Amino acid sequence: MILYIFSGLLGLMALTIPVGIVLFLLGFGIDQFFTPFPLIRGLGQFVWSSSNSSTLIAIPFFVLLGEVLVRGGVAAKTYAALDRWLSWLPGGLIHANIGTATLFSATSGSSVATAATVATVAMPQAEKLGYDPRLFSGAIAAGGTLGIMIPPSINLIVYGFLTETSIPQLFVAGLIPGLMLAVGFSMMTVLICMVRPELGGESRRYPFPEMLGVLVHLIPIFLLFAAIVGSIYRGWATPTEAAAVGVGMAFVIAAFSGGVNWPMLKESLYGTMRITAMIMLVVLGAAFLNFTLSSAGLGRELRAFMEGLGFTPFMTLMVIVLIYIVLGFFIETLSLMVITIPIMVPIVVGLGYDPIWFGILMIVLVEMALITPPVGLNLYVVQGARRGGNLSEVMVGAIPYAVLMLLMAFLLIAVPDLALWLPKNL
Amino acid sequence: EMLSVVGSWSNLPLYQQFESPFWTEILPEASNGTLEVAMTTHNEMGLGVGDVFNLLGDGVYDVAMTVGDYAVADAPELEGLDVPLVALDADTARAMVDAARPMVNDIFRDRFNSHVLAIAPYPPQIVFCNAEVSGLDDMRGLKVRGSGRMTAKLLEALGAEGVNVDFGEVPGALQRGAIDCAVTGAGSGYNAGWWEVSTHLVTLPLGGWDPVVTAMNMDRWNSLDAETQELIQTTITAEFETPAWAVAQDALVNDVACLTGNAECPYGDARDMVLVEASEADFDAARNILITEVLPDWAARAGNDWAQRWNDSVGAVVGVTVDLD
Amino acid sequence: MVLHIFELLRRINRVIALVVGLGLLVCVGYVLLEITLRRFGTSLGGTSEITGYVMAVTTAWGMGFALMELSHIRIEVLRTRFASWGRVFLDLLAMLAMSATVVIIAFRAWPVLARSITNNSRANTVLETPLWIPQSLWFGGWVWFACMCCAVTLLSIALVLQGKLGAVEGKIGIRNEVEDELEQLR
Ligand code: NA
Ligand code: NA
Repeated sequence: MILYIFSGLLGLMALTIPVGIVLFLLGFGIDQFFTPFPLIRGLGQFVWSSSNSSTLIAIPFFVLLGEVLVRGGVAAKTYAALDRWLSWLPGGLIHANIGTATLFSATSGSSVATAATVATVAMPQAEKLGYDPRLFSGAIAAGGTLGIMIPPSINLIVYGFLTETSIPQLFVAGLIPGLMLAVGFSMMTVLICMVRPELGGESRRYPFPEMLGVLVHLIPIFLLFAAIVGSIYRGWATPTEAAAVGVGMAFVIAAFSGGVNWPMLKESLYGTMRITAMIMLVVLGAAFLNFTLSSAGLGRELRAFMEGLGFTPFMTLMVIVLIYIVLGFFIETLSLMVITIPIMVPIVVGLGYDPIWFGILMIVLVEMALITPPVGLNLYVVQGARRGGNLSEVMVGAIPYAVLMLLMAFLLIAVPDLALWLPKNL
Repeated sequence: EMLSVVGSWSNLPLYQQFESPFWTEILPEASNGTLEVAMTTHNEMGLGVGDVFNLLGDGVYDVAMTVGDYAVADAPELEGLDVPLVALDADTARAMVDAARPMVNDIFRDRFNSHVLAIAPYPPQIVFCNAEVSGLDDMRGLKVRGSGRMTAKLLEALGAEGVNVDFGEVPGALQRGAIDCAVTGAGSGYNAGWWEVSTHLVTLPLGGWDPVVTAMNMDRWNSLDAETQELIQTTITAEFETPAWAVAQDALVNDVACLTGNAECPYGDARDMVLVEASEADFDAARNILITEVLPDWAARAGNDWAQRWNDSVGAVVGVTVDLD
Repeated sequence: MVLHIFELLRRINRVIALVVGLGLLVCVGYVLLEITLRRFGTSLGGTSEITGYVMAVTTAWGMGFALMELSHIRIEVLRTRFASWGRVFLDLLAMLAMSATVVIIAFRAWPVLARSITNNSRANTVLETPLWIPQSLWFGGWVWFACMCCAVTLLSIALVLQGKLGAVEGKIGIRNEVEDELEQLR
């Protein structure tokens, strides 16, 4: 059965059949050949019960929130403001890139839109100020990945839905590792620019009154972040309610930035519907495959398989990490998550690891997939915004940050409390 | 013959002590190997609790068992199987369920295309509160997670606010104060660690007994020969239904002991929740509301024919009559 | 002619997406109102139930729109290495697989609605929502998606028979999300 799933998965996806459909087809196959039930008779009921979910509606809400902020011009203003505050550091403008990415990852779920915005605004300035194109574009690509780690994160909602783990707890667990990665990216940049100052471009200092002046553009975003994350952490609101509050605040902020009008609203709604349907087809397919696999007793078979290998839990975990890195070269975040969750999570939980912790570890690993070639969406986003130069420059520039993510993964394995301390103590 | 069987919650004693041994060992042995069973549970399959009997009727599996209350969306008359506050001990509860059995048979035949084999109890559904309560009056204005529609309606009639929360989300909701109280079986609450997030245990069975119905797909049942049907029915009554009822009363006493530490806990560490025993006056008040508000409301939902049938069977046993318009 | 029909379907789906999207906005408003009312100790009740229905309906009706906008995720590592006819072959294969799967889902969705109608089912909640209302909207969405899949497949085959390979790729190939996003910003 395990062999069937892996070969089916890779074969059908190589044929470029849409990932969600591949998952449904595999589910049909499992049902036909490996379960005692004609599960397909319950397909309609299953799709209804899975999509009739007040938890999953947080996904379109968060997507809409991000769309409104980015299309309302708030992202660009935030970037300019962060530049005033952070550009005195070695590596200057790069910290504003990372900061913007962090803030927007904190409020939206759409990492492509965020990376595209930052890249479009930043690139012309980078050329003017003499930054090394490799380091600069690599940092933007890497910063854009933070979107799925720092809560609220759509990927964490999907993980929680498919594994039946608590979404607020996942959000809490992602906070420290996410912020550590953001700070780590900045420190890495400072380090590189201190060793090789010629890569870093001009450092600039802005007069203090000007710094105070741009706070107008920073404070609303901080408030939005605090409102969403705070209300979930303190238990005042469910992730769905917090997302609704976020959408409301995003409209207010965008309105003050002068960005709310009918064309912008229309584009935001189109974007929300597109991304929601795209995510949901994959999520429903994964949920159905999950359902057929557990009905077929995959858990038992996996346990027997793992025992047959004679690996220790730690060795197994290392193999899993390796699998994610390899698959991550070719498959993008969300797909990588949903196709592996039905198989990996039962193994890992069966070995006695915490499912919340593994969710965070998995997020770090799939974040890496966004900047590892040949399929690394953020690399292409940044390359697209550069309009010139070679893609390999972006790839080289992203390497230090990818290494940092790998270190983060091992740190999480060595010190699980990085993810688990907050959920345990809140 | 191969039967695919879906059990109720795999983490609860009813499955572990009775369902699983009966279907995987006792029945195959009793049939001398002519009946084979493949068994899983609805939570291991990842089924929504409301879907279990619908899928049974569709023939996804041959046999399924879960709480009757989970299925009332498709059959409001089924709420009559589990009326809270009318049966305070296991013997009365069993008499009530036996009286309701012909109704349940008809409901499952017509609504879920299936044949009822047995009805066994979960322990009575009592109230866990993360709030200072000393009686029913204190629950006025509190947010309470009920299980099943009639319980939710009763809570509302008592002045509490009925809230829908998934079983797994209850501890978090109690902890952060999104709800004040939650109704579940004492044993389920002990196993799921609800004592960590609540302080007071009100032992009034506001949630009824959550009877678990075991049923077989009707087409599958009809495809069996009379001898096999007879074998299954006699074995399940003698080896599953009767023993499950026999331990129900003790289970409640033990579960409460484990939660409050008022006696020896046979399962593990005893906890120290405050035991709130409802007074006679509380009980009378609640029952009065049940009879004057909740049951007539149900009669309107289910239809007078069902209410009349209930009066003649269950009502006669427990001494309650629903007023019909 | 074929291209005109494509364009017409695309426009219809954009209208649908806009209507459903506005519904989503109304739902946001409803949740906000509920949160506000709760502060004052009252409540509309049933938000989790209603948001669930909205999600099921949004998902179902968004599917066809996402199809027309080429937004469903496909892994294109191998596809980019093929010549034009090879890519079109893969695109058609993908559409056929998708049509078959979605038709099965839509077909299996009917008994869910049918049962709610015959049993006159009401949600197992205090609101007691008659389930046929959200379920028929949901069922309609999946039927619409199935129709869209089949229509797109047939239209693409027609284009292939006319020898317009390039046009087929534009209609059922893989969307360049990056270019689109940057296009928006310029
Ligand atoms: Na995020
Ligand atoms: Na990659």
